[in-house]
Amino acid sequence: MAENPSDLVVETYKLTKIYQNRQIALNDVTLRIEPGCVLGLLGPNGAGKTTFLRLVLGLHRPTAGWVKVFGKKMTPNAADVRRRIGYIPTNPQFPRGMSPIGYLDYMARLFGLPADVRKPRLASLIRAVDLLAVSGDPIAGFSNGMTARLAVATSLINEPELLIWDEPTHGLDPEARRSMLELIKTLGREKTLVVSSHNLGDIDEVCNHAAVLSRGQLIYCGSLQDLKGRMRRNHYELELEGDQKAIGKAAQAIKGFSEFKSVNVRQRRLELRMSDEAANTSALANVFMTLSDNKVTVVSIRSVGQQTEQAFLDLVEKEESRGFARAYQSGEAA
Amino acid sequence: MDTPAPVKRARVRRWLPYWAVFQADLRQTTRSWVYLVWVLVSVLGAAGYLLYRVGIYHEAGMVQSASQLISDLLRWSVVGSITLIIALAGGCISSERGTMADSVLSRGISRYQYFLAKWHARMVAVLSTFLAMGVVALAGSFMFLHGDLSLTGSLVALATIVTLLAAVTTCGVTVSAIANSTMLGITVLWVLLYGAGFALTLLPAQYPSPDRVLNNLPTTLRGFYDLHALGRLAGWSALASGLIAMVGLGYFARRDI
Repeated sequence: MAENPSDLVVETYKLTKIYQNRQIALNDVTLRIEPGCVLGLLGPNGAGKTTFLRLVLGLHRPTAGWVKVFGKKMTPNAADVRRRIGYIPTNPQFPRGMSPIGYLDYMARLFGLPADVRKPRLASLIRAVDLLAVSGDPIAGFSNGMTARLAVATSLINEPELLIWDEPTHGLDPEARRSMLELIKTLGREKTLVVSSHNLGDIDEVCNHAAVLSRGQLIYCGSLQDLKGRMRRNHYELELEGDQKAIGKAAQAIKGFSEFKSVNVRQRRLELRMSDEAANTSALANVFMTLSDNKVTVVSIRSVGQQTEQAFLDLVEKEESRGFARAYQSGEAA
Repeated sequence: MDTPAPVKRARVRRWLPYWAVFQADLRQTTRSWVYLVWVLVSVLGAAGYLLYRVGIYHEAGMVQSASQLISDLLRWSVVGSITLIIALAGGCISSERGTMADSVLSRGISRYQYFLAKWHARMVAVLSTFLAMGVVALAGSFMFLHGDLSLTGSLVALATIVTLLAAVTTCGVTVSAIANSTMLGITVLWVLLYGAGFALTLLPAQYPSPDRVLNNLPTTLRGFYDLHALGRLAGWSALASGLIAMVGLGYFARRDI
């Protein structure tokens, strides 16, 4: 935990962005990102994820509040701070006539890297992202996967301490997506990452922290484990195998247990909900005993409430259902 | 949470981002269709005008002085070029707004450096091209025409026009940094420049105006010029360029991209 605020990688305070007095894109966002954190930025379309990232990069100026990156206030002219950041926008665009070598050289020069530093580095990166064979070809003919790899190389050319990747797996085929996630995991061991994504499975796999934005408000910021744990705890789904009558009989018996708030059977799926405080191990032990007594086999067991996607959806739903109460209890939300 | 080890950062050259954008913009400008159209139209227009004058000489025996001919050439190439120079300068920043500018401005370059690099690159492209064309025209006229041209007068005339074009280019880049769309920027710039040009003609005679300077080109080319008045015009143009650029720089450094 960073004790000194200057040790934080990113710190925002009451960050608000209103576009031309017409659209509130971000509202009162206060968060801190510590070194080594791999933060997944979640939120539905229009939640303010890209606006948040653009404010952190200094591409936009806050209407109110501030952003500090590496302890320094981020402004459009804070080139020194941006030299420590690697960024991939949602749909990275490249000058179509340029080759990967020319483009990476241009980007490295934008970071002020002298030739003896940038030339070996760009060569290593082109090799690392497997673009060696096409390093002299125009980018215009590149596939989505190739441009994504070039974007990765671009974001690493300055050896940044903070990586900000906006939808890095967007538009990638499964193989390229898998490679990207593996790369994020590798980079996450030595760098601080902020990854925005619609794909909650990706966030679940590579991030250790999450921030959830909904309609411009930060409704959650903390560890991914907490996010998964705090929503719908003790909610399980069992897939069963056995006689349908036996399953029904077992379900009836389980309904009699006091630990369970609801027990539903849908064909061969048994959905169990306990109260948050209930001791799940002993209750589940009783369930397995009952199933065993009725000669029902368990094919799989899934903790529904522990899924990031469910937790995220619950959070957004809960936030929206608060209605006007948000105006008075905004402090509790995050 | 594991805290990553501090990274040893490579040394940086502070003005390298400026040079990178400057060179990229210069290359991009000289390859753009607006630039190529400008050069082509200017060269063809000049050649056509010379043929017309030669035709008149052969058919009617009318001889036009070199100073008048070059003055006409410069005057019409300036008037004709303004619209294309406006298009060239007026879209330099606004046309790159969005993801393209993102990929540059999210790196280690300040808005000041980006604006200055764009401004200087467009100035170099426009002014050096105009100077090159002007020098070729002058050299040709010294060699082939019955000369009443003065070398110093010719250089002063070229320098005066270059000062005016510098102010026009600066206005273009500034409007481009302020406007949200290229078309809007070019329209505003066009109205602004032609409006300002007209307004300046209404000033009393002792004040220098672009129109008067262009009207006096034949005498300037013959070597009769008021260096003090032209110096004042150049000074005012430079001052106006500087102030306009400051406005553009200040605005661009604060705006959302």
